[in-house]
Amino acid sequence: MNTQRVWFAFFTVLALTLNFGFFVGEIDNPDHHNLYEFFFALIVSLIATILKIGDRSHLGAVLLATSLVADLQLIAAAVIWGYGSQVTGDVSGSVMASIVSLAGGAMLANVTSVILLISETIQLKR
Amino acid sequence: MESTHRTRSRIRGAAMWLLLPRLKTPLIALIITYSVSILGLVLIPGQEPGGGVYYLSFLDAFFVVSYTATTIGFGEIPHPFTALQKMWMLFVMYSTVIAWLYAIGSVLSVISDPGFRRLRAYQRTVGRIQAHKQPFWIVCGYGGAGNQVIRFMDQSGIRSVMIESNQTRADTAKLSDMTYDLDVLVGDASEPQTLVDAGVQSALCRGVLALTDHNQTNLTIATNTRILAPRVLVHARSESDANTRNLRSFNTDVVIDPARVAARSLTQLIRKPRAFALYHELVDPDFNQIEILNVPDFGHWVVCAEDRLADNITEAFLRAEIPFCLVSPEVSTIADSIAWVQGLGTEANTLRQARITEAVGIIAGTSDDGDNLSILLTAQTENERLITVARRNKPTSEPVFRQGNFHYVLREGRIIAQEMYARITTPLLHQFIGQLEVMPEALVQGIIEKLNQRLGNQSPDLAHFDISLDAEDAPGVLPFLKTASGPEVSDLLVDPGANHPNMPLICLLLVRFNGDLVPFPGEGLLLEENDRMLLWGAAGSHHRLHLLIRRADLFESVLSSRRKTAG
Repeated sequence: MNTQRVWFAFFTVLALTLNFGFFVGEIDNPDHHNLYEFFFALIVSLIATILKIGDRSHLGAVLLATSLVADLQLIAAAVIWGYGSQVTGDVSGSVMASIVSLAGGAMLANVTSVILLISETIQLKR
Repeated sequence: MESTHRTRSRIRGAAMWLLLPRLKTPLIALIITYSVSILGLVLIPGQEPGGGVYYLSFLDAFFVVSYTATTIGFGEIPHPFTALQKMWMLFVMYSTVIAWLYAIGSVLSVISDPGFRRLRAYQRTVGRIQAHKQPFWIVCGYGGAGNQVIRFMDQSGIRSVMIESNQTRADTAKLSDMTYDLDVLVGDASEPQTLVDAGVQSALCRGVLALTDHNQTNLTIATNTRILAPRVLVHARSESDANTRNLRSFNTDVVIDPARVAARSLTQLIRKPRAFALYHELVDPDFNQIEILNVPDFGHWVVCAEDRLADNITEAFLRAEIPFCLVSPEVSTIADSIAWVQGLGTEANTLRQARITEAVGIIAGTSDDGDNLSILLTAQTENERLITVARRNKPTSEPVFRQGNFHYVLREGRIIAQEMYARITTPLLHQFIGQLEVMPEALVQGIIEKLNQRLGNQSPDLAHFDISLDAEDAPGVLPFLKTASGPEVSDLLVDPGANHPNMPLICLLLVRFNGDLVPFPGEGLLLEENDRMLLWGAAGSHHRLHLLIRRADLFESVLSSRRKTAG
């Protein structure tokens, strides 16, 4: 068993699960979307990206790309959230809806990542 | 083109991949310390001045951690910290500053890594070569010859790209004084990839000059180029007969053996000093005058040389029937048929045995510059009227040889550069030099006198250039070519200005469209369409000539004034 592979899969899947946990709920209801869960989703997504660096295969390149997409979406969501809560002073339903929809996009990227990971694993012969 | 592109992106990628994996650990450390620090600050309650409890927002926390990690330290924001917050901040300070410095340090160490820098420099050079819009030649090896030939080519406006494996030499090459920034690829020219990176497959690449110090490397460059880019010309230096035969066996365009060229040059210097002077003026952009050395027709020569130079000189001198005595440290292969003295030639005794006192000239051609100087100085004390020929091996010895007042200095790099330059600049020049070798000395004398006549008592810098009588080069001449009593060679050699005085120019070679060569054509020779001409004369006179052949009105006035004087 390869420790590096464990961490790699762990962070890839964790990025998806946290992202999903944040995403579920009514899209414009701030009570359904936890700030801390979002924070962890972002951090884990960043770490997953770093772990994907250095794999020169074609699959590695695609994995890195999907991860970068997820980061971009989550950072955009974080900026909107920060602007909403700190500058305008209130996270309204419409602001929450755009945050969650961005996180939803990030989740799609994370799903792609996990699917690629699974397909690669299935192809491996023992 | 396709394959070049792929290669390039592969190399581009390599530098990035060298950088990123080494930054993985510092980046993860940075993210983790940041996130733990931010989370702590958000969760720990703070106290407002009024006494109320508040929590830092993620924005505030990220702000505080960022300026702490980068050691900027704005202070306690938004309110003075409580004891618990201070304790947490202590952890934040030490962990994030360390993580930050670690990350920055890793980036810097990767960037300043010599391997990484070399790779980046290489890639940038490859990028610049691919961005070139001008035709260029690839020169492999920045030695005496490489150095000289890129300068010669630069003076004719020909661009080159250098491949040099030695970093120190490559650095010198980059600093060489040229009209453009020389691109130097630091790499092994015998590797095909290096040639590809230097642009051998580019449509703009005209040829490859294999000038490294190793026969085998030059051979490999020639074979690789033949396969990678069959239409590209290959000029190779070769220092053994076997290697020369090998290079010729797969149609290397030009093979230059410095020892052979040197022997040929020396023979010419002794037997045909005028042809020698003309040759040097034409093939060496640094020589702008005709300097004829007065060599007695008959007389004994002392030749101090070894190895291949000795063999080549022996062979050439025997063929030209020049009487000589060879001074050589080892037994020559053909020593039986010639006068031969064993020794280096640095001692007066050896030279006396070689009959230095009755000799007309001495050639100091050993492979050591100190020995050569010593030979010549010793010889001059024995016989003051000697013609002295020195071989200079190292470019760094140049000052002594220039100061030494020798009649001729044989510079290996220079003669290779001259030979290649003659073939690169214009094909006409090379054709003329071929003619020059078989031309009788009297005819060469005639050529030089003819030019001197036209120069009058001036002695300007001399230069050569070529023209073609076609629609592009000479639209002013074409309409008159088919007419009765059409233009002659002499009509081109007059000034387009008032009274049409003769220009300080002569025609060295005329090549007809069907390939017929007319060396030193008579002035009455009728011109034909698509004639190409090699002209020689005062530098700068080509501006006047180009004006004349472009403008039909000027050329017509030249023709009518000739008819007037004739009629």
